[in-house]
Amino acid sequence: MAMNIYDLIALSSALLAVLMLGSMQIKNNLVFYSIHTFLLSAETWWIEKLTSDTHLFYVGLTICILKAIFIPCFLNWVRIRIGVRSESAAFLTPPIAMFLGAALMGLSYLISTQLPSILGEGDTRIGATAAMSILFTGVLLMLTRKTAMSQIIGFLVIENGIYLFTLTQTNGMPMIVEMGIMLDVLVGVMICGLILFRIKKNFEHIDVSLLTGLRD
Amino acid sequence: MESIALIAATPLCLALLSLLIPFARVTRILSATGAWLEMALLIFIFQPLLHGSQTHLVFVEPFAVDKLAAYFAILTTGIVASCLTHACIYFEAESDSNIHHVKLFYASVNMFLLSMISVFMCDSFGFMWISIEATTLFSSPLVYFDRTKNSVEATWKYLIICSVGIAFALLGTAFIFASSQHGAIPHGSLTISLLIEHAGQLNYPLLKLGFIFCLVGYGTKAGIYPLHNWLPDAHSEAPAPASAMLSGALLNCALFGIWRASQLFSPSNRAFMGEMMVWMGVLSTLVASFFLIRQHSLKRMLAYSSIENVGIMLVAIGIGNGPLFFLQAINHSIAKASLFLVAGNVTQASGTKKLKGLHGLVESSPLWGILLALGTLAVTGAPPFGSFTSEMLILLATGNAASWGIAAGLMIAIAVSFIAICAHIGGILFGSPLPKFQAVQPIRASLIPAALLIFSLILGLLIRPEMLGALQ
Repeated sequence: MAMNIYDLIALSSALLAVLMLGSMQIKNNLVFYSIHTFLLSAETWWIEKLTSDTHLFYVGLTICILKAIFIPCFLNWVRIRIGVRSESAAFLTPPIAMFLGAALMGLSYLISTQLPSILGEGDTRIGATAAMSILFTGVLLMLTRKTAMSQIIGFLVIENGIYLFTLTQTNGMPMIVEMGIMLDVLVGVMICGLILFRIKKNFEHIDVSLLTGLRD
Repeated sequence: MESIALIAATPLCLALLSLLIPFARVTRILSATGAWLEMALLIFIFQPLLHGSQTHLVFVEPFAVDKLAAYFAILTTGIVASCLTHACIYFEAESDSNIHHVKLFYASVNMFLLSMISVFMCDSFGFMWISIEATTLFSSPLVYFDRTKNSVEATWKYLIICSVGIAFALLGTAFIFASSQHGAIPHGSLTISLLIEHAGQLNYPLLKLGFIFCLVGYGTKAGIYPLHNWLPDAHSEAPAPASAMLSGALLNCALFGIWRASQLFSPSNRAFMGEMMVWMGVLSTLVASFFLIRQHSLKRMLAYSSIENVGIMLVAIGIGNGPLFFLQAINHSIAKASLFLVAGNVTQASGTKKLKGLHGLVESSPLWGILLALGTLAVTGAPPFGSFTSEMLILLATGNAASWGIAAGLMIAIAVSFIAICAHIGGILFGSPLPKFQAVQPIRASLIPAALLIFSLILGLLIRPEMLGALQ
């Protein structure tokens, strides 16, 4: 099977997401996240070239600036201010989490072959595999990590997976909707980041598995 | 175009003003007045719909409303306006209020109101998603208001659980978009009215997937069991007027998202979806009613009662009856807002939310005692209040439409929750009066809850099943 460039980009983006599962250093995770997101914007530009759909260029540009550069920088600033270097502990050790991530990638391929073939032109199953794999990786990150910082990164990865899914399966939603979604994500991450400061101040840690004050 | 600008202008200006004005009192009064103005404006703009001379009102792309959306928008604004009016009195009684906290609170409340109105006015699934996510973002500062350990924890859970939940609704939206590309509309569309028009021609497997993801996503926001974890935390840690808004206004927005997605099914292929929603609703109602038995905190109990009511509304959506959904929503919103506001007064005066620490309210403050008792009856669906009518109609509709199991499950749940809530509230009302009970301005603080209760009573006495047709 000849591999298209856009399939290659999508899959490498998914692989980078799986790599995030293997690192306990939050800074490394942010770097991986940044490259992984940059690949998504490259994918957007590539599909823009294929479909000559100019709005995708601006969407890709916004992703590159906001999600690949601004958000990782912001989170890194928060991380330095709080003084957290690495994940204190995870429910799964990194090697096991990585294997699980790889297995989920295989599962995503099985699922994507079940989807009704999209849009006729070309094979979009690899794109769907990558998208779903990123989605699963994000969920896995959120489930296995304990610090609030990794939860935010996990959420961002899930969002990226959904974006890639939309991009490869439907050639992107209307531009104004994509922009609105990005704005929401941006504001959400900033609010979460600011609340991290307050969590650190009130609890003196950012381990969310220890936030158990509220229960019935 | 002008009407959209007008509707957006009031909350936007007020949000800006609340950030600038350095006097807490002025901000409070301005915001409350602004919300009432907004409600009047909405009623004025939606006049053709309310008269029944038109069924749709189309503004500039992508904004349009139908009758149900118009009524929901007015209801939401009304609830927010009542809560903000009550907040003027409630926050005055709080001893220390940092002006920065007040500024942030009111700026968020106004943006929150705007995003909730926009949920109902959007004619696009994409914008609806954006608006619903925006309601989460703007309401998180309301939960955060006290800045205690508990409220920070509740805010964090609220933000993360709802954002991730809603992310799945985004995936659902993508599937709906894809289903339109396969079916009727070559380039795909997210426009709700267009999609409803082509309901039969959308790609069914993709639409089904899209709907399931939307149900899970918006269901998290609505607090449907088993996705309800964040709801009791957020509702109990927010200050009382904010809890009332979250419960009375925000839950309706999320349910409205589910209602919109359920409209995409043509009558021939909606049976499976309808049944799924009905059973999820029944399960939610049943589980919440059993949770209600063992409660230790007054506001958490009210939050679980909201989950129960959300379940009932989901049943109404499941049987495809929009007017019944609205009727249950308006009755629940009004009664629950009133009850949350009175409960806020009581917890403020006694300094505790624990059910064990609250007793003898009838003696220490007879007025609040009566309001709390009446509010409880109104929320649990006792006649002659409005909830009785709507719950009765929903029970009858399920009895007609499907198997007896649904009606039986609902009846058990409603009965159990009635007994549980009444038992807990009875414990608050009777017994020896609390020694340190300081009711601040008991009469002024009762005005809004009493007005809401009277409204609920009027609804209960006036609503006839024949009138529901006017909502369609």
